Amino acid sequence: MQIGVTKFPGTNNEQDVLRALKSLNVKGELIYPWEEKKLEDLDALVLAGGFSYGDYLRPGGIAAQSPVAEKLIDFEKNGKFIIGICNGFQILCETKILPGVLTTNLSTKFICKWVNIKTETARSPLLKNLAPIIKIPIAHYEGRYYHNASGIKKINTEDSVAFRYCNEQGEITQESNPNGSMENIAGIVNAKGNILGMMPHPERASFDYLGTDFGKQIFVNLIEEIKC
Amino acid sequence: MVSYSGKAKDVIVLNDGEVQINFRDSISAFDGVKKEELAEKGITNCLTSVKLFEILNDYGFNTHFISKINDSQLLCKKVTILPVEVICRNISAGSFCKRYGFEEGIKFKQPLIEFFVKDDEHHDPLITESVAVQMKLITKDEAILLEAITRAVNEILLKIFDLISLQLVDFKLEFGRTTEGQLLLADEISADTMRLWEKKTGEKKDKDRYRQDLGDVIVHYKDILERLNSIQKLPEYKPLSTVQVIIKLRKSVLDPAGEVIFRSLSRKGFKRIESVRLGKSAEIVFNTVPSSDLQSEIEEISEKILSNPIIEDFELKIQHHSEKSEKEHFQEE
Repeated sequence: MQIGVTKFPGTNNEQDVLRALKSLNVKGELIYPWEEKKLEDLDALVLAGGFSYGDYLRPGGIAAQSPVAEKLIDFEKNGKFIIGICNGFQILCETKILPGVLTTNLSTKFICKWVNIKTETARSPLLKNLAPIIKIPIAHYEGRYYHNASGIKKINTEDSVAFRYCNEQGEITQESNPNGSMENIAGIVNAKGNILGMMPHPERASFDYLGTDFGKQIFVNLIEEIKC
Repeated sequence: MVSYSGKAKDVIVLNDGEVQINFRDSISAFDGVKKEELAEKGITNCLTSVKLFEILNDYGFNTHFISKINDSQLLCKKVTILPVEVICRNISAGSFCKRYGFEEGIKFKQPLIEFFVKDDEHHDPLITESVAVQMKLITKDEAILLEAITRAVNEILLKIFDLISLQLVDFKLEFGRTTEGQLLLADEISADTMRLWEKKTGEKKDKDRYRQDLGDVIVHYKDILERLNSIQKLPEYKPLSTVQVIIKLRKSVLDPAGEVIFRSLSRKGFKRIESVRLGKSAEIVFNTVPSSDLQSEIEEISEKILSNPIIEDFELKIQHHSEKSEKEHFQEE
């Protein structure tokens, strides 16, 4: 089994992702922006978080023009799995593989804190067996999910919302929305269910010593899907 | 079969994409009030145009010129001529002096660009860019592009004529669009469409000889052509175009950064500000002369990479990237 983890200049979460995979006995392989040929041999890809290329132009905007990103469409079409975390989610939106865009937090502050999210769809195997309410960290400056009215409507009709920010009781409220995302959206899946993009960091909620391992289930699901 | 007959040329449509242009010996001035036939005028202007179009094609300009059929006939791409022609002036002369009462021979620090409507009935009147755009003669983008191309042509022609001891005073350019939408430099470029003065003496070598009855019109026209043909090596010139792309957040998208700046300015006592929106701007220098192809390329870059259409809009302005700064323009003499 081969799971790639992208490392662009400015990516800083790849080691955390590798550690989460390692705890599940999978050795992840770092994939650099110019190593698009390696994608053919991979079963899945995790786009790790960080600030690729300094987030110049727009977050993920330059990474989305890289050789690896150019091949993501083929990867997706072959039904292989991609999980984009934080900056990885931004890259998936910039490559148009997922709808919408992530822009500056409403508070104009970098937000680094624990939040609660809940799963909104069963359309992706990556979202199986998750706790009803997941406590998970976010760390971003540009995490406000935005789409135009027709885009938001389409996402809802197609049941593409993976996660929404909620309070501890699982209620989707304005107070529990950390960054001003439209309709509290924290993550999106594509129609086929093989691409997941999310602003929160499951790899940072994968060990008890970090506070919770609620996030680990996403990687467990990924590995199981590749096996079968 | 002549498809269109002008004051000095006939245009014959050959097929969907090509025309043949025949240069006649007719010469006219003052909207055709004064006219006559001058032997060898057609050939001379045709060959001058060939030479100058070849040079401009060499430097990468998009022109309608394909090839010479014979000494008085050109094979050109078929275009629909824009109703606005462009004049570029380095030194005051002609209608500029008549219109404003300024004397002839004032050297401009920066070349002047003027638009004129092609309309004999109203004596080809001067038109401002805003009127031309308002009256839908040309679009705003076309106006910007026409100016950029004309300035670049001026820079090259100044160098070419300087090599052969001639001062380029002013010139007129006409443009046309192909059915595919490409903007091309069209019509002719000859002593009929520009003013050229002998560098040392200031002697007029162009159509003013005919307008002002100075005589020897064709002698001077032929001298210009001979000098052009004597050029062994084209001057060094690195063509550059600058494009300014301004990326703005769409009005419907919240701009927290703009909001913070707004609040900060308000606190500082700037009370008359209604709102602030923060955008981005990129300046891209291309190593080519301005053209409609370049315009399409920049639009693609701006739409696909520089902006994200979900949240952003963009505006762009294409400019000729001048080799020299304004103040150096006439210091060489």
